[in-house]
Amino acid sequence: MDRRRGETRQVRLRVNGQDHVLTVGGPAADVAVTHTLAHTLRETLGLTGTKVSCDRGACGSCTVLVGGEAKLSCSMLTVECDGLDITTVEGLADPVTGALDPLQQSFIDHTAFQCGYCTPGILMSAKALLLKNPRPTQADVQEALSGNFCRCITHYHVLEAVQAAVEAGAASATAPDSRRARR
Amino acid sequence: MSDEYRYIGKPTPRRDAPQIVTGSATFFGDLVVPGMLHAKVLRSPHPHALVTEIDVARARGLSGVKAVLTHADVPDWRAGTPRHLRVLDSTVRYVGDPVALVAATSEAVAEEALGLIDVSYELLPAVFDLDEALAEGAVQLYADSPGNVLRPGTRWFGPDCLTGLAIGDVEAGFAEAEVIVEGEASYAGLPNPLPPESPGVVAQWEEPDRVTLWLSTQAAHQEKMIIHAAFGRAVDVRTIGGACGGSYGSKFMSIQLIMQATALSRAARRPVRLGLTKEEHLAAFGLRIGSRVRAKVGLRRDGALTAISGEWLVDTGHYSLTTQAQVAVGCGEAQVALRCPNWDLRTKVVCTNRPASGIVRGFGGQELKACLLPILSRALAELDLDPFDFLRRNYVKPGDGYFWRDGRWYDYRGNDYTPAMDAGAEAFGWRERWKGWLRPTEVDGPLRTGVGVGVHGNVDIGESVSEAYVRLDPEGRATLYSSASEHGTGQPSNLLKMVAEVLQLPLERVTLTAADTAVTPYDMGPVGSRGTYAMGSAAIKAAEEARRQLLTLAAANLDAPPEELETRDGRVFRLGRADSGAAWMAIMGPERTIMGHGRFEPDFTLANCMMTFVEVRVDTETGGTELLRVVNATDAGRIIDPAGLENQLNGCLGSAGIDTALFEETIIDRTTGRVLNANLIDYKWRTFAHLPQMRNVVLETPVDSHRFHAIGVGEVSTAPGPAAVLMAVSNALGVPLAEYPVTPEKVLAAWKRAMDAQAGEATR
Amino acid sequence: MRSFTHVTAGSLAEACALLSEAGGKGRANAGGTDLLGVLKDGIHAQGPELIVDLKAVSGLAEVSREGDEVRIGALATLASLDRSTLLRETLPLLVQAAHAVGTPQVRTMGTVGGNLCQEVRCWYYRYPRHVGGPVGCLRKGDGPCLAVKGDNRYHGVFGGRGCFAVCPSDLAVALTALGAVVDIAGPDGSRREVAVEDLYEPTTLTLAPGELLAEVRVPVPARPTRQTFLKFTVREPVDFAVVSVAASLDRDGPGCRDARIVLGGVSPRPHRALQAEEVLRGGDVDDQTAARAGEAAVAGAKPMRHNAYKIGIARTLVERAVRACLDA
Ligand SMILES: Cc1cc2nc3c(=O)[nH]c(=O)nc-3n(C[C@@H](O)[C@@H](O)[C@H](O)COP(=O)(O)OP(=O)(O)OC[C@H]3O[C@@H](n4cnc5c(N)ncnc54)[C@H](O)[C@@H]3O)c2cc1C
Ligand code: SF4
Ligand code: FES
Ligand code: FES
Repeated sequence: MDRRRGETRQVRLRVNGQDHVLTVGGPAADVAVTHTLAHTLRETLGLTGTKVSCDRGACGSCTVLVGGEAKLSCSMLTVECDGLDITTVEGLADPVTGALDPLQQSFIDHTAFQCGYCTPGILMSAKALLLKNPRPTQADVQEALSGNFCRCITHYHVLEAVQAAVEAGAASATAPDSRRARR
Repeated sequence: MSDEYRYIGKPTPRRDAPQIVTGSATFFGDLVVPGMLHAKVLRSPHPHALVTEIDVARARGLSGVKAVLTHADVPDWRAGTPRHLRVLDSTVRYVGDPVALVAATSEAVAEEALGLIDVSYELLPAVFDLDEALAEGAVQLYADSPGNVLRPGTRWFGPDCLTGLAIGDVEAGFAEAEVIVEGEASYAGLPNPLPPESPGVVAQWEEPDRVTLWLSTQAAHQEKMIIHAAFGRAVDVRTIGGACGGSYGSKFMSIQLIMQATALSRAARRPVRLGLTKEEHLAAFGLRIGSRVRAKVGLRRDGALTAISGEWLVDTGHYSLTTQAQVAVGCGEAQVALRCPNWDLRTKVVCTNRPASGIVRGFGGQELKACLLPILSRALAELDLDPFDFLRRNYVKPGDGYFWRDGRWYDYRGNDYTPAMDAGAEAFGWRERWKGWLRPTEVDGPLRTGVGVGVHGNVDIGESVSEAYVRLDPEGRATLYSSASEHGTGQPSNLLKMVAEVLQLPLERVTLTAADTAVTPYDMGPVGSRGTYAMGSAAIKAAEEARRQLLTLAAANLDAPPEELETRDGRVFRLGRADSGAAWMAIMGPERTIMGHGRFEPDFTLANCMMTFVEVRVDTETGGTELLRVVNATDAGRIIDPAGLENQLNGCLGSAGIDTALFEETIIDRTTGRVLNANLIDYKWRTFAHLPQMRNVVLETPVDSHRFHAIGVGEVSTAPGPAAVLMAVSNALGVPLAEYPVTPEKVLAAWKRAMDAQAGEATR
Repeated sequence: MRSFTHVTAGSLAEACALLSEAGGKGRANAGGTDLLGVLKDGIHAQGPELIVDLKAVSGLAEVSREGDEVRIGALATLASLDRSTLLRETLPLLVQAAHAVGTPQVRTMGTVGGNLCQEVRCWYYRYPRHVGGPVGCLRKGDGPCLAVKGDNRYHGVFGGRGCFAVCPSDLAVALTALGAVVDIAGPDGSRREVAVEDLYEPTTLTLAPGELLAEVRVPVPARPTRQTFLKFTVREPVDFAVVSVAASLDRDGPGCRDARIVLGGVSPRPHRALQAEEVLRGGDVDDQTAARAGEAAVAGAKPMRHNAYKIGIARTLVERAVRACLDA
């Protein structure tokens, strides 16, 4: 990457399996150096499922998966994201069949939202946990979601929904035929 | 249990659920109006000052800037009670008060332009609390409000709007009392309701006098009414609602943003988006009102209240939008929860140099009761009366009544909530856990457990007017036209259930239009707890009316009078003859729609009720307080949607509920007037890591509301908790507390008082 | 956010050189969890003109043991400390402290270097520009300290000189108790070492422009010690410490050969409670000694108007941490 000042350079992002090449600087810039990843996702790529509430790293609304880990897209500069593999809430469902991720379905079944503004961030934190630990305890889930602000107090329903998805996942894992390959 | 119904009481997914979990739901912040400019606000660094000079020339010259406005060039639109709030004012009255507005092609340009505006101020003294504002010779925020006291009452509630309570004869009441206690308590932490999505608006002006507004509130029509008045009734207003990312009432405080975006759009001749950042939301938007009550209460040994007199001082910040209305509703709610024949409660609404207080879940009653209960507790303690028995005894019962917000008396005809309260006490184990006043339930070294209880009820479940249309299409589908937008309660989905139930249509064949005053009829909106009864009634009546028209039309077709027909799944047939009949298409023909209109008229004769029991554990060595258990008890008449209801009741913790007694507060610097904790680290909120055991006990005793016998209880879930927590902490420590929230600092100070008192007794 | 030139450094030396060249007008960015907030709030009169991203610098994220030292690269994330079995076995205190930081996401992104070098959380210092302009104060070299007369509930009770903001870093408290040093790289390829607590001067860090933390070196105790980190917050995740304590006891049967007690949240730097260590050192340790250590730890505290409550909490935490070391 060209490091000299003021010149155009490119940022390559893979978002939900799709590659984007974004230009930084110059007259046709997609990205300014001050842009956060959250801003780029929402305003440049039109992926408004990722929400911004505090914009300061405290509320987890903007959580996305970066290489499978939950990170705060409001606290990352897009210019520093070159080469990253990012999943947003729009990328949770199966890209081919459109089938919802079991977590999403479970959130629907348990009405695990009220205003729903915190939901994308919570889903991504929960997803990151399940990728690392497919059989978390309730305490694990509480810990993994402890950086996600939910003002409506949907915490109880969220915990039920995640736990139900875990159990459903465990059930399908023991029945190999029905197991689906999913990131 | 509700097998008589197809959808009512059944778990059904929220209509917007797929959008919410896939990120495709459109919240205010996701909205793009073509050609939209972005606005930023230059804010005052001073809590009180005259703007003597503003130089905006450099800002106007910046490329990309399309409009810059100062107080000198904005229209004279006004809002508030009285109409103190302007688009921009030449006096600033709190740190963060708007001084200039910029609209530009991007937020970044708008922000840069703010840096190019030079302002000179002439500083004025500032008053930050009730005492300073009410002091002799204090600086006046408004010339028309001497002593910083605002005119009582609001025209909205009519000429006899409650501004206090003068009922019976308090002197006679005190003469009858077996104990009289005087005390003071305050609920003045100014918590922020803090919806996750910050407030905002998009305005699009069309010459000469039209504006379209995309709002971030749940009640498009009510807003239209308020805005129309603010614009001097000279502007044709259309408002469009949408998912607003939470409100808890607070987003009604967006009126100034709306005026500002409109003024900018008019100046720039382009749509303008004005959205607050979280810092602005926390430091320059609506807070809960600050309350302080000094009261004298008279009580008899049998738990009967004989008299309550006193003064309720309300700090509203730099202006009042509806604070007088909250005073009115609060005074009404006090009578619902505390039956007492003799009242003399005076009130004052006071302005101070801080961000405004405004509409928050709880709306006056939560605040007044949070102050009255600690005072009453001292009287109860003197007579050794159990607070649960006391609250249970004194809650409004059928045959009682109250003066409501319009100053009129209403006879209460709702449920007796005693069974719900008993069920709650049972679920909580109140009898076992209550050890007497100022006695901990358990002591384990420095850890002391205590319990408390509170109650709240509101008559606003039937307030104001709702209207709805239901349209039937020949394809066997129905559309509900309602001005309700989703703000978290699930009410739009619940209304669809009600319509589907009346029409006996598959739920997915009933859809909802977006709230848009150009399309949908008047509705006060899902505010307070009125969604279920008031809005529900309008939707039901509209569906019934549409159904009636359909059956009348079918009568000719099916050769039977309408009374002998029924409809199900898009077919009409003779009663009990589901196999025969005709599809709607056959009856209506392809070129017809049927429209039913439903209207709900205000009804102040029903009240809801929420009793909350809490158990806390206090660490007397660190001052930390942990909420261990919560039991909410209510009677909803009939549950419409179990998950939605459960969610609303769990909401008792946040959005300025129970946690306002524990750790939520807005901290304002006494020297600079700045909000010091305007971020989500220093403003405390509950996390997933600390969740009390939560149990909601909901009875279903059919109530005479609408055909589903339900009433709303959502809003009130936050209201009883704070007082219950204060009681529990007082009991744990053995020291009466009368101030919220119970920060470690306050707990440790109280514990030290207790220890000192004990030591004093020991040496005596 | 005001604009800046952004450079991704390929090596630490390059980063140091670029920042040195920028004089005081450059900033390193590691995890960004602190820096981005500072930039967005525009708390400084002048924003940085240059941001140098460190994340592409290789070899700085390792946690490894070399001889009797554990070396932690400045770019190691807090989550990686939390997960490290090496640390769990040798320096559990550090694992506890890392786990006590912020939220899971902050720990996944935040680095050790950023944690030690983050700016103070004093709410006057951090006041956001967009709501009435930033606040000047002594630490910013612009006027008096506002906390003295203002709301100082979260400020220090020990050792403030001019500025009473407390060291916000949880790791610094634990690392001080472990006797760790930081290895500082300079622009000309130079290296210097300072004890962690000496990073913090009354109103600034000791770092000169162009100096960056390269790694932290922590001596592995010769004998296993009992280690406890306790943090009192208003609410557990998200929050910075109201008071924290890191205790490390070198037990000898019922006795105690040596002890390190360090308090956080009470002073501009991690506060060694020397008198408490004195109480513990040498003799037998039991619950009474723990209580005495608590008392000694807060001797000489000078509270301001709103923060005296911190003294009681500090006393309690020290006592409880020592007791936890006894139980462990
Ligand atoms: C919601 C929230 C909660 C938090 N809670 C806590 C908490 O409880 N405890 C706690 O300790 N912290 C807390 N933090 C602060 C958090 O930012 C740090 O813990 C984190 O480790 C910082 O690391 P970073 O890599 O993100 O720092 P950055 O933001 O990248 O950098 C912070 C500062 O350090 C400088 N810097 C970075 N790396 C180096 C280096 N190698 N050498 C010299 N200077 C360097 C940067 O220039 C910048 O000034 C919290 C932060 C947030 C947003
Ligand atoms: S404590 Fe320090 S940072 Fe805070 S106002 Fe005082 S000088 Fe500034
Ligand atoms: S918006 Fe990113 S953490 Fe709050
Ligand atoms: S559902 Fe509204 S904030 Fe979580």
